[in-house]
Amino acid sequence: MAAVRAATQAMGTRFELVLLGDDEANLRVIGEQAVERIESAHRTFTRFDSSSLVAHLRRTAPDLTEVDSDDFSLFAEALLVARQSGWSFDPMLGHGEIDTLLRLEPTTRQVGLVDAAATLDFGAIAKGHAVDLAVTVLREAGVQAGFVHGGTSSGFGFGAPEPSSGWRVSLGQGRDDPVLDLRDQGFSVAGAWSDRGGLRVPHTINPATGRALRADRRVAVVGPSARLADAWSTAILVSGRRPESLGREWRVWLSDSRHRWARLDG
Amino acid sequence: MTNLDRRGFLVQTGGSMAGLALVPEFETLGPRRLPETKAIGVVGIGRQGRAILAELNKISGAKVVAVCDPNPARAKAGEQRAAGAEPFTDYRAMLEKRRDLDAVIVATPTHLHRAVVQDTLAANKHVYCEAPLANTVADARAIAAAADAAPGRVFMAGFQARSNPVYQLARTFYRTDAFRDFIGGSAHFHRKTTWRFPTEVDNWRLDPELSIGLVGEIGAQQLDVFHWFRNQAPVAVSGSGSIAFHRDGRKVPDTVHALFQFAAGSMVTYEASLANSFGNQHEILRGTNGTFSLSWTHGWMFKEVDATTLGWEVYALRQQFHHDEGIILIADATKLAAQGQLKAGVGLPYSPLYYALGDFLRSVSFPNVPVPCSAKDGLIATIVGIAANQAVVERTSIPIVL
Repeated sequence: MAAVRAATQAMGTRFELVLLGDDEANLRVIGEQAVERIESAHRTFTRFDSSSLVAHLRRTAPDLTEVDSDDFSLFAEALLVARQSGWSFDPMLGHGEIDTLLRLEPTTRQVGLVDAAATLDFGAIAKGHAVDLAVTVLREAGVQAGFVHGGTSSGFGFGAPEPSSGWRVSLGQGRDDPVLDLRDQGFSVAGAWSDRGGLRVPHTINPATGRALRADRRVAVVGPSARLADAWSTAILVSGRRPESLGREWRVWLSDSRHRWARLDG
Repeated sequence: MTNLDRRGFLVQTGGSMAGLALVPEFETLGPRRLPETKAIGVVGIGRQGRAILAELNKISGAKVVAVCDPNPARAKAGEQRAAGAEPFTDYRAMLEKRRDLDAVIVATPTHLHRAVVQDTLAANKHVYCEAPLANTVADARAIAAAADAAPGRVFMAGFQARSNPVYQLARTFYRTDAFRDFIGGSAHFHRKTTWRFPTEVDNWRLDPELSIGLVGEIGAQQLDVFHWFRNQAPVAVSGSGSIAFHRDGRKVPDTVHALFQFAAGSMVTYEASLANSFGNQHEILRGTNGTFSLSWTHGWMFKEVDATTLGWEVYALRQQFHHDEGIILIADATKLAAQGQLKAGVGLPYSPLYYALGDFLRSVSFPNVPVPCSAKDGLIATIVGIAANQAVVERTSIPIVL
């Protein structure tokens, strides 16, 4: 069995794909298609590029713009998680709740912003979205087993590398850190702090306060979609608890300030 | 018209002042809005077709009502990108059933353009044909002839630089003392990719019988910049190509070099490779007073130290490139500067494809507004690309006969 790796730089991180199969040349070609899908998602949702869809929505607010079904899913699920999490997750960067500033028209698949001053930041869901899109490309092309991750914090494993039962992802380097066994499941890990040039800096905004979250904890979420795992990991990071609305198909881990992981069961 | 920018420009419609029409002008950079909805069909839902659908979704008034691809899965994919669009697997059936179409975008493989364009024009629809126009000179000439024979219909060739606000700005400087005399230039395209698709029918770019290679499929777009700026095409081309990286049995080179000669003796070099990504896509035009460096969404002007200082230069944004300092080319800079938003103009807010489609649909809305890239312009650029590919494949030098 051949293993092919592909990679690209997108959304401020490195996406990597591992594809397993018998035809190495074909896997490479399919991998390129998946990479292009990731790059396309980056161009669509980045808020740092004036040619993105997000920038277009601001320029044309309050008009509606039609989007494809995949991209509409991102908007719809972002809104869903925002509501179900009690606004612990909100991509509107503190300018207001997504519920009032984002317009969605499911029948015409149109989206729009009520106010041109509103800022959409899909940083806490777009990586998972790109991972899901890439996995769809791989599966539709007939790839039986593969793993896709964005910056190691969001990913999806489908099929399994023999003889394992799934793709094994460790939540840390310690002996007691949980090891996820992913088969047809996505994951996301969120933390409130990041290391920038040796400095620990907070990088998650609490939508309720508009301020940086300073809680010293990390969250890991595993479930059927990398996109939703991405959004839910941020929501739970902010709230510090597992929401009742989260279905039993989702597994959640929370680590404390001493980096000890505990399972939050539904 | 009420949704359009309030500025307007005059277009001569009949050779007399009485025939002048006030046509709403698009903002230079901003979103395109059509005065009324236009029903559009897209033929060919491959990678480019899907990109076209995404851009059309951002043009207010552009309504894709039909998508067509012989591959039913692709047609379905088109439907997912254009809500409510009717999927077809035969463009003739689409033309027959969707009589309400105003315009058709042709994004099929290059060698299939001719029949679709001819039949669509014959069905009295406006046509945007992706670049290059064709993979043979005969087909390209036939497409141009069909467009000429359809005076009431808009035809635009999809050579996008001509619609690109950054390139349009550079071209205004090209014609001034800021650039002065053209001495030569270069262009390159670098992307590390196989250029393959999972399904063999999609691998026409790697079929030597159908493909006009990197210099024809991609280079033609870039080389058109030189034709357009200079108002003349090269007279001869020499080239060579090799399989530098993808030794997978392909016959079409993954790395090519070509040298174009213009009548006055100046030269333009072209390099493209699927084995390396550095630098992506770029054109450089060198003049005796300045140099343009253009990369599709961004552009810079580098002045010679002995060139006259221009009045506005003190306000310009600049960027350092090793020892050289470039003036960033910002379309609509005067307006943005007046609003204190000059930095917001760095880089195009939409893709070059968006502006090309916007220009086409403006001409569809106002047929007396000429398209920026006519059938004749497209024919010249296509012939240059085909000739260059022949030079690459044969590793020889050949004259370019327009």
